[in-house]
Amino acid sequence: MANEHGITSFLPRLGEYCKSTSGMTILFAIIVATAAAVHSGGYIILNTVVTGGMWALVGMGLALIFGVMNISSFVHGEFFMIGSLVAYYVYSPFVDIILDNPNTFFAAVMPLVAMFAALIMGGIAGVLTEHLAFRPMRRRSKKDWVMNSFVLTLGLSILLINCHQVFFGAEFRGIVKYWNYPSIAMMGTYVSFDRLMVFFIAMFMILAFWLLMSRTRIGRAIRAVSQSEPGAMMVGVDINGIQTLTLALSCGMAALAGAALLFMYPAYPTVGMGPLYNSWFIVIIAGMGNVTGAAVGGFMVALLQVLTTTYIGEGWDYTVPVVFLMILMIFKPSGLFGTAVRGVLDE
Amino acid sequence: MLLQATDLNAGYGFLQILRDVSFHVNKGEYVCLVGPNGAGKSTTLKILAGMLKPMSGSVKFQGKDITGLPGNKVHRLGISYISEALDLFQSMSVKENLAMGAYTMKDKGVVEKRLEFVYELFPRLKEREKQLSGTMSGGERKMLAIGRGMMSDPSLILVDEPSMGLSPEMTNAVFNALGVLNEKGVTILLVEQNVTKSFKVSQRGYVLEHGKIVLQAPCAELAENAHVRKVFLGV
Repeated sequence: MANEHGITSFLPRLGEYCKSTSGMTILFAIIVATAAAVHSGGYIILNTVVTGGMWALVGMGLALIFGVMNISSFVHGEFFMIGSLVAYYVYSPFVDIILDNPNTFFAAVMPLVAMFAALIMGGIAGVLTEHLAFRPMRRRSKKDWVMNSFVLTLGLSILLINCHQVFFGAEFRGIVKYWNYPSIAMMGTYVSFDRLMVFFIAMFMILAFWLLMSRTRIGRAIRAVSQSEPGAMMVGVDINGIQTLTLALSCGMAALAGAALLFMYPAYPTVGMGPLYNSWFIVIIAGMGNVTGAAVGGFMVALLQVLTTTYIGEGWDYTVPVVFLMILMIFKPSGLFGTAVRGVLDE
Repeated sequence: MLLQATDLNAGYGFLQILRDVSFHVNKGEYVCLVGPNGAGKSTTLKILAGMLKPMSGSVKFQGKDITGLPGNKVHRLGISYISEALDLFQSMSVKENLAMGAYTMKDKGVVEKRLEFVYELFPRLKEREKQLSGTMSGGERKMLAIGRGMMSDPSLILVDEPSMGLSPEMTNAVFNALGVLNEKGVTILLVEQNVTKSFKVSQRGYVLEHGKIVLQAPCAELAENAHVRKVFLGV
């Protein structure tokens, strides 16, 4: 927490941080991004930052689930799907009115309403998952929990994908844009208003989430459960309540990301696959269960994908992160931000 | 009677550890539960703390039946449990760990007072306020665990093996602190393998062997008992 020390000791600490593995990686990523931007144009940085923010949200949720509940979730992408579906059905009935009258209050607020609805529905879906799937299993036995919960999430993912197909069909349900405002010229390219908003929403959510985790009583309880479940129980924390809250938060954030990116990723049964893979890249790069690391990891995975698409070609954007991951697993299996003593909010 | 356990049977899976264990702790007492390795001392404490459900038997606290109540609810009734593993929050600072100890308390003024009380009890914790608990020495971690348990102002603390793995000086410091707490009116149920030390500090003792209470008496008497002297004290 830098603010406790003031600027005089902050700068040397920053210098010290830059020498650590995570610091060097971040520095390296920034240098690469700048070099690429100079070479190919500012859109590289813009694309990275816009999608990275949302991947960070999805990845942070996944890291939180792993850290607090010890679940390797493979159903996380389906909450992204739920979010995009909810946003589509809230937003699309009004799409003509909104795009024809962009300067009304209704048109400005409606996209936010759609995203908020997705956030809430994602949260509810998370609570249902906890109550209908994880809790009955936890009550039955804690034996082989990691493996069993992993298989459970995998099954749940297949179930939800097929439910989507049965009830909503396999067609793409997307929108062209949320806000019908002119694009903004920036760093030599045009950025649509939607992308800009997506970036701000992601930043706002990351900040709000970080404040919740680090500054509030409930956030401290979440971290406590992730570090020692018996310890948390001993001081009076209701473990079940915290686990339900964790799933609600994580799934809500994934759904929000799905809603916010609806103009890029239309709702269809397997839309969650990409975000799921991305969030797993993020979580492994950041170190399992490390939420702060996941926030940074989101941007790094996005950068990796943008660079791949630009210099190697479209279609390689999932291959390169995997290769990077393999190399990382060989040389630093604890992840770039992994440390010996850790919890969900490590720096 | 503050705490009463009646005919506790408990174990893990098919392995039964405790057989019809009954004992009680009066208000303000300092009671120790001693016995050899594997006798079921820690298991008994786990049941009292709500960390393990007994197969049968009952636990009453202040006249209320708390058998099988989960640990977080037991804690809210005023029982603090300091486990053998300590179960600290490793990547939280000392201060944050203590703040977690006061999780169930809403009044900030009271929490502040409790924090001062704990710092007075263990000045070392104040010095280490910002250190992560996972990076502290064994004795400091033990102090922190006791301090965390004291934050909620419990009427009863259950302490599991406070001397384990500590240097003699650290052991003395921890036992001194427990003595101070007892003088201030906190009831203590202590589980120990260090029999000599336990008999010195506590008033009344139970001896647990193979999951059964075999002896109970004031500590002065226990220390003179032929069986105890032969088995535990080696004289």
